[in-house]
Amino acid sequence: MITLGQVLILAAILFCISVAGIFINRKNVIILLMCIELMLLSVNMNFIAFSHFLHDMAGQIFVFFILTVAAAESAIGLAILVVLFRNRNTINVEELGTLKG
Amino acid sequence: MLPQIQLVIPELVLLCLASIALVLDTYSTSKNKVLTFRFVQISLLIVIALIFVVSPDTQEYAFNNHFISDPMSVVLKLVICIISLVVFFYSYEYLKEHENVKGEYFVLGLFAVLGMMIMSSAASLLTIYLGLELLSLSLYSMIAMHKDSLTASEAAMKYFVLGALASGMLLYGISMLYGVTGVLDLQGISSFANAGVDADMNIMLVFGLVFIVVGIAFKLGAVPFHMWVPDIYEGSPTAVTLFISTAPKIAAFAMTIRLLSDGLQDLLSDWQGMLIILSLLSMAVGNIIAISQTNIKRMLAYSTIAHVGFFLLGIISGTASGYAGSMFYIIVYAIMSMGSFGMIIFLGKKGYEADQLDDFKGLAKRSPWYAFIMLILMFSMAGIPPLIGFWAKWFVIKEVVAMGYVWLAAVAVVFSVIGAFYYLRIIKLMYFDEPDEMLAIKASRELRLVLSVNGMVILILGFIPGALMALCLSALS
Amino acid sequence: MITQYIFYFFAALLIIAAGMVVTVRNPVHAALFLVLAFFSTSAVWLMLEAEFLAIVLILVYVGAVMVLFLFVVMMLDINLVPMREGFARFLPVGIIIALLMAIAMGSVFTAIYFNGAHLDVVTPTATDVNNSRELGKLLFTEYLYPFEIAGAILLVAIVAAISLTLRTGRSKKTQDPSAQVSVKRADRVRMVKMKSEKKSG
Repeated sequence: MITLGQVLILAAILFCISVAGIFINRKNVIILLMCIELMLLSVNMNFIAFSHFLHDMAGQIFVFFILTVAAAESAIGLAILVVLFRNRNTINVEELGTLKG
Repeated sequence: MLPQIQLVIPELVLLCLASIALVLDTYSTSKNKVLTFRFVQISLLIVIALIFVVSPDTQEYAFNNHFISDPMSVVLKLVICIISLVVFFYSYEYLKEHENVKGEYFVLGLFAVLGMMIMSSAASLLTIYLGLELLSLSLYSMIAMHKDSLTASEAAMKYFVLGALASGMLLYGISMLYGVTGVLDLQGISSFANAGVDADMNIMLVFGLVFIVVGIAFKLGAVPFHMWVPDIYEGSPTAVTLFISTAPKIAAFAMTIRLLSDGLQDLLSDWQGMLIILSLLSMAVGNIIAISQTNIKRMLAYSTIAHVGFFLLGIISGTASGYAGSMFYIIVYAIMSMGSFGMIIFLGKKGYEADQLDDFKGLAKRSPWYAFIMLILMFSMAGIPPLIGFWAKWFVIKEVVAMGYVWLAAVAVVFSVIGAFYYLRIIKLMYFDEPDEMLAIKASRELRLVLSVNGMVILILGFIPGALMALCLSALS
Repeated sequence: MITQYIFYFFAALLIIAAGMVVTVRNPVHAALFLVLAFFSTSAVWLMLEAEFLAIVLILVYVGAVMVLFLFVVMMLDINLVPMREGFARFLPVGIIIALLMAIAMGSVFTAIYFNGAHLDVVTPTATDVNNSRELGKLLFTEYLYPFEIAGAILLVAIVAAISLTLRTGRSKKTQDPSAQVSVKRADRVRMVKMKSEKKSG
């Protein structure tokens, strides 16, 4: 049987990978958006694991809402990306030097 | 079911009015979208009236403990709506002057207000998260709405990525809280933590708490999670910067209180230490870096960071009166910030943003009255008595001393003295420098009136700080 | 025991896919690895008896969100060369941060893992319990208020996405062939009457 600890560690590894990804891919906005998706995935994994081991549906309900919000979020994120690309013809954050960072 | 619905009437009506505004906007053909703007203003007035009428004086839960109506939520909602009303007015004046007004801008603004109201009266982790996302998503798109501006789309992207990162952190913390307690409502979490937990569970709780505090710090813009603040303040059009720096700060206060006080008051000793570090760093970095800025929007951004440091002092004290002090601080900060950005809008003209410090040179000769208003705003931000900004600092520092953190209070005083320098520099520029050009200021009569009232409110509140403080205390008792 | 191995298989697949997402250079490849990550996550969720969400993850995420990602990546025609720069520079920082976090988080979880606080084996839910129905019941009763807020969030997403990407008026830079064809000579050439100049001897 799967134990709670195993799933939590899997989620934690996923969370670490996504945070590292955000640092590594500072220049590429599209991959940054994907890292954010990975991060939410790891949070969802946590909720589902707890929901399973606590025998409580609230965790799954929370995941349902996170999925909804994340879909809305990525739609807006990509829309902003398109606006940015039309203005700059690049999504390379390094070239976005107008603001000091 | 019916009495439950009665409690959420303000939110419900706001949602309906925002949807109507969306439809109405397609019929608003004039270039300035007067119809949409007026409708949005009237909507906010209706909601303010409704909050007065339907809100009970007692603490009441609704919708299976997802919604709470208590004195704090009522006061915060009122303040948020009133501030948004004025902010939208300033924004409209700015947009009218600088580019074509877009109706969606104000509709999204209404949704942001809805998000803030939901945060103010959230009683479960789920509603806090959803309210926060409703607010953030509206803000991201309000910045990006200025499609032809390079800096605006860049600022929107940065805000989006860091905001999503912050939400991710917050969610991870929330998932840990849920895992330990097995419930999502703050009441349940509070009673769970109160009942005492074994060592293993406590590690998990504190572990979740760390992520929650990081998430809150990101949203507040406290050092070391402040990287986004200066860029977003500078890059966004002044109309949106104005909005970001006012009402959402009050919503962030609500979120902090709901999570840390309503939910995790029993972990006070754990989060106190984290907040002390955040507060010290914020006051230091904010006040010192602000001195070297030449762009006033960027300077105000660092000043925000410094103010967040002070605001956290009240939370650190961990008592109801301390929270009231923080609430007082954040409301006063919102009013002052509104006036300062209003001033930038007031000085700007078509195709030109008055966002350099040099734009304030010799303002006293161009317009003595508005130079005086700016003087009041800057003195108040610097915390010079008897203005309201002084009382805000006074109340939080008093609370910290009462809790025995005398050294922290001393550090806060030192940094507020350092901070006074850059506010006074603006006053020196206004009164003792010659203007580069003696252009007449072109601003509508309404803008002049609202800006004057804004300045006077700060002056008058300074003489009666007790009234506002009594309100804050009653909200949190 | 077999469930254990299946879990390990999908967990490994998930971690490898996630690692590839953050390290490959081509955004299209990254998106495809993300799809793989979603599929393996979905398998893990099925094992944790969250059937409805496992399916929704595939339908909504792989079906809609990832297609949107791929669509944007391909539509924007991004120049890939500059993306490679700086990767080596940030890689050590990223790895160090990941390791630090992994150690911190690992130490918390292994404490629980070995203490056996939560190791209680869960009895599988009865086969006649319908996961989707249970979720639906809760969603429309206990969680009605959050459900309404989620509706407002989706509305904001629609309004924002449309108004951000819709191009109207002066930001449009396209040719209008019918206007070009119907141009009259009078629109372009101006006849000017002037005195002929005298030849200066």
